[in-house]
Amino acid sequence: MAYQTPAVVMDNGTGYSKLGFAGNDSPSFVFPTAIATKGPAGGAGGSGSGRPAVAQKPSYLTGGAGPAGHLSAKRGTEDLDYFIGDEAIAMGSGPGYGIHYPIRHGQIDNWDHMERFWQNSIFKYLRVEPEDHYFLLTEPPLNPPEARENTAEIMFESFNCAGLYIAVQAVLALAASWTSSKVQDRSLTGTVIDSGDGVTHVIPVAEGYVVGSSIKSIPIAGRDITYFVQSLLRDRNEPDSSLKTAESIKEEFCYVCPDIVKEFTRFDKDPERFQKYVVDQGAGKKVTVDVGYERFLAPEIFFNPEIYSSDFLTPLPVVVDNVIQSAPIDVRRGLYKNIVLSGGSTLYKDFGRRLQRDIRHLVDARIKRSEQKSGAKSGGLEVHVITHKRQRHGPWFGGSLLGQTPEFRSYCHTKAEYDEIGPSIVRRFALLGGPA
Amino acid sequence: MLLLEYHNLLIQTLLTERFNSTTPTSIDQIISDFDGVTFHVSTPESKTKILVSISVKCFSDLVKYGANDVLRREYGPYVVEPEVGYDFSIVLDLENLPATQEEKDELIRKVALLRRNAMAAPFERAIDTHHSLSTEAAKFTAESAPETSNSEVMAIHYREEEAMYIQASHDRVTVVFSTVFREETDRIFGKVFLSEFVDARRRAIQNAPQVLYRNDPPLEIRNVPGVKTDESGDLGYITFVLFPRHLTRQRREESISHIQTFRDYFHYHIKAAKAYMHSRMRRRVADFLKVLNRAQPEQEEKEKKTVTGRTFTRAT
Ligand SMILES: Nc1ncnc2c1ncn2[C@@H]1O[C@H](COP(=O)(O)OP(=O)(O)OP(=O)(O)O)[C@@H](O)[C@H]1O
Ligand SMILES: [Mg+2]
Repeated sequence: MAYQTPAVVMDNGTGYSKLGFAGNDSPSFVFPTAIATKGPAGGAGGSGSGRPAVAQKPSYLTGGAGPAGHLSAKRGTEDLDYFIGDEAIAMGSGPGYGIHYPIRHGQIDNWDHMERFWQNSIFKYLRVEPEDHYFLLTEPPLNPPEARENTAEIMFESFNCAGLYIAVQAVLALAASWTSSKVQDRSLTGTVIDSGDGVTHVIPVAEGYVVGSSIKSIPIAGRDITYFVQSLLRDRNEPDSSLKTAESIKEEFCYVCPDIVKEFTRFDKDPERFQKYVVDQGAGKKVTVDVGYERFLAPEIFFNPEIYSSDFLTPLPVVVDNVIQSAPIDVRRGLYKNIVLSGGSTLYKDFGRRLQRDIRHLVDARIKRSEQKSGAKSGGLEVHVITHKRQRHGPWFGGSLLGQTPEFRSYCHTKAEYDEIGPSIVRRFALLGGPA
Repeated sequence: MLLLEYHNLLIQTLLTERFNSTTPTSIDQIISDFDGVTFHVSTPESKTKILVSISVKCFSDLVKYGANDVLRREYGPYVVEPEVGYDFSIVLDLENLPATQEEKDELIRKVALLRRNAMAAPFERAIDTHHSLSTEAAKFTAESAPETSNSEVMAIHYREEEAMYIQASHDRVTVVFSTVFREETDRIFGKVFLSEFVDARRRAIQNAPQVLYRNDPPLEIRNVPGVKTDESGDLGYITFVLFPRHLTRQRREESISHIQTFRDYFHYHIKAAKAYMHSRMRRRVADFLKVLNRAQPEQEEKEKKTVTGRTFTRAT
C-alpha cells in the first residue's frame, strides 16, 4: 500500500491515559482515565457491583428496578451524554454527573465505561475512523487472558479496528529506554520499575518475555505519596490542603535525598530550602502554602515505607533485589545491568541514583558474604539504573517506537483473523521488537 | 457527544498552548484525522515558526473544484510552498502573531478547520452554481423554463472505496455518499439509523434536508464514470437534498460543515449503538448470573446410616 495510516497507540493507566499516534515522540493527549456519566457516582457498573442484593425479580422482568433499570426504558441519546478526561473531572464536580474510574490497579474494572471511554477517545480526541487504523494497546503485567479477550471484543466488534496489538507495559518501557545514551544494546532484557498512580510493579523481563513468577507489586505509588503530602499539610494547618494542591506540590518540589537525617539538618541550616507554593483557589482568591520537609520525606516512603504504612515495610531496593534473585540464574546479570524506570512516580530528582546506590550496597554485601564463605574472589556484578528522557510516558513511548516500525502490522491480529478465530486469538501475540 | 466537531482538537490545543507560552519549544507531530487526512505540525526552521501541513487523500479531486482558491482565500498571508509529501502548508510565525487575543483565537480556530476548509471547495462551488442557475431560471416563465438545468456531477473520492457526488441545480443541491459496510451488523444498524433520519423529517423536523437510501446508484450519478452498481449489498448510496433554505448566505457555512462530517458521524453512531448494545448485553448476562447464583439446588434431607446400621440425622 502506498499510504499507511499511523498506528494509534493508547496506554490507559489507573490515573492517566496516554493517547497518540505511533512515530511521534510524545502522546497527543494525556488526561485522567475518568468518565463522567449522568447520575450519581458509584459502582453501578457492568459487574453489577453496588446493586442491591435482594431484588424480587431480575430487572429484565420488571422492566427495570435498581440501577440497571433506567437503561431499558430509554429511547433517547442518554448513552452519549458523558464526558471523559479533564472534562469529566470538571463536569463531575458539578451537579448531575458522577465520576467513575474504569481502571483499578492497572486493570480494567468496568467494561461499559471503558468501552465508552475508548469511543470518545477515538472519535472526539484522536479523530480517527478505527477501520482505517491499527491499534496498539497496553496491559499491566499478569493481565488475565479474559481481559485481553474483552478488549479485543470491543476493539474488533464495536469499533471494527483494522488490527490490534496488545503489549505489556513493562516490555514497552524497556523499548522506550533505547533512546537513552546509556543503553548500548537494544536488548529486551531488564528489570522494569513501573510506578504510576495506583501500583508500583517490579517486573523482570528476559528477552521480551515477562518472568511472571518473579513479579512483585508494591502497594505504594503516586496516589499514596500525594496522600502523604496532604497529611503533612493538614498536620501543619496549611490554608489549602486539597488533593490537587498536594499533588502539585509533590510534582513540583519533591526529590530524593541520600540520607534523611542529614537532610533534616541541612534544612535547619539553610532556610532557603523551605519553599512557598501559591494556590489559586479561584475567584481571585490566592493563598500561600509553605513547603517543608515533605520535599524529601514524601518520596522517601519508597525507601523507608514504615514512615507511611504499617503493613508494607519492605524498601523498594530490597524488593528489586529479591525479584532479581528469584529470577532464573542465567538472566540475573542482565536484570541487574538494565534496571529501567518508567511511569510518573519515578520522576523525582535523584530517584534513580539513590536506587542504584542502595541496590549496589545489597549486592556488594551479598558478594562479600559469599566470598568470605567460599574464599574465592568474585568478578562482581554491574548494577545500572537507567533514568531517561522518555520515562514519564515510558510505555506509551515504547509503543510509539515499535508501532512505527515497518513490520509492526505483521505482528498484529487483523479484523479478518478475529472474525475467523474469535476472541481467543489475542491470547497470543508474537514478540514485537525482539530478535528477528 | 452527539455531533462530531468540525475542527481538529489536537491542532487547536497545540496551537493554543504554543501561542500563549513564552518559551518556544520544537514540535514534530504527525496527526491523523478522519478519511485519510494527515497533518504534520513541525518547527523545521526555528522554534518560533510553526509549519502546519495537510495531506488529503482526494486532494486532486478537490483542486479540480477550486480547493486552492478557497484555501488561499482563507489562509492567504500564511500560505507557503507545500511541504514534501503534503498537499498544502502554512507557516505561523510566533513572533508575528496578531495583536489581540480574539484575533489569535480566531487564527487558531481557522487553522484547526484546515481539513474542513480544504473539503469545502466543491460544496461552495455547487452552492454558487445553484444560485446562478436559480437566478437564471427566474428569468423564465414556468412554461418556457428549460427542461434541465443541472450542472455536472462533481465526484470526490475521499476514501479508498467511498466517494461523494455533488450536483447543483436551480432549486437544490444534491449530495450523494456512497458507503461500504464491511460488517453485516453495521449494515443493519446503518439502515435503522438512516430510517430514523427519514422518520425525523416526517415527524418533527420539516426543515431537515431530504434523505434517501438505496442500494443502487441514484439517477443523478448513474452516468458518472466509476460508479459501481452493487451485487453483494455491501454498497449503499445515501442522498441528501439540500433546499434553497439550507443554502442561504447565513446558512451555507454551517450546512457545508455538517454535510462534510456526515460519513464520520454516521459511522460514529453505528459504533456508539453497538457499544450501547454491548453494555445492555453485559448487564443482562450479569442478571442471569445472579439468577443462577441464587438458584441453589435444594438440600434433600437424606437419611444416613452408620456402618453398624444405626440411623441418625445430621444437626443443622
Ligand atoms: N514530576 C513528577 N514527579 C512526581 N510524580 C509525578 C510527576 N509527574 C507525575 N507524577 C505522578 O505520576 C502519577 C501518574 O503516573 P502515570 O501516568 O505513569 O500513571 P498511570 O499509568 O496512570 O498509572 P498505573 O501505571 O499505575 O496504571 C500521578 O500520581 C502523578 O502525580
Ligand atoms: Mg502506567
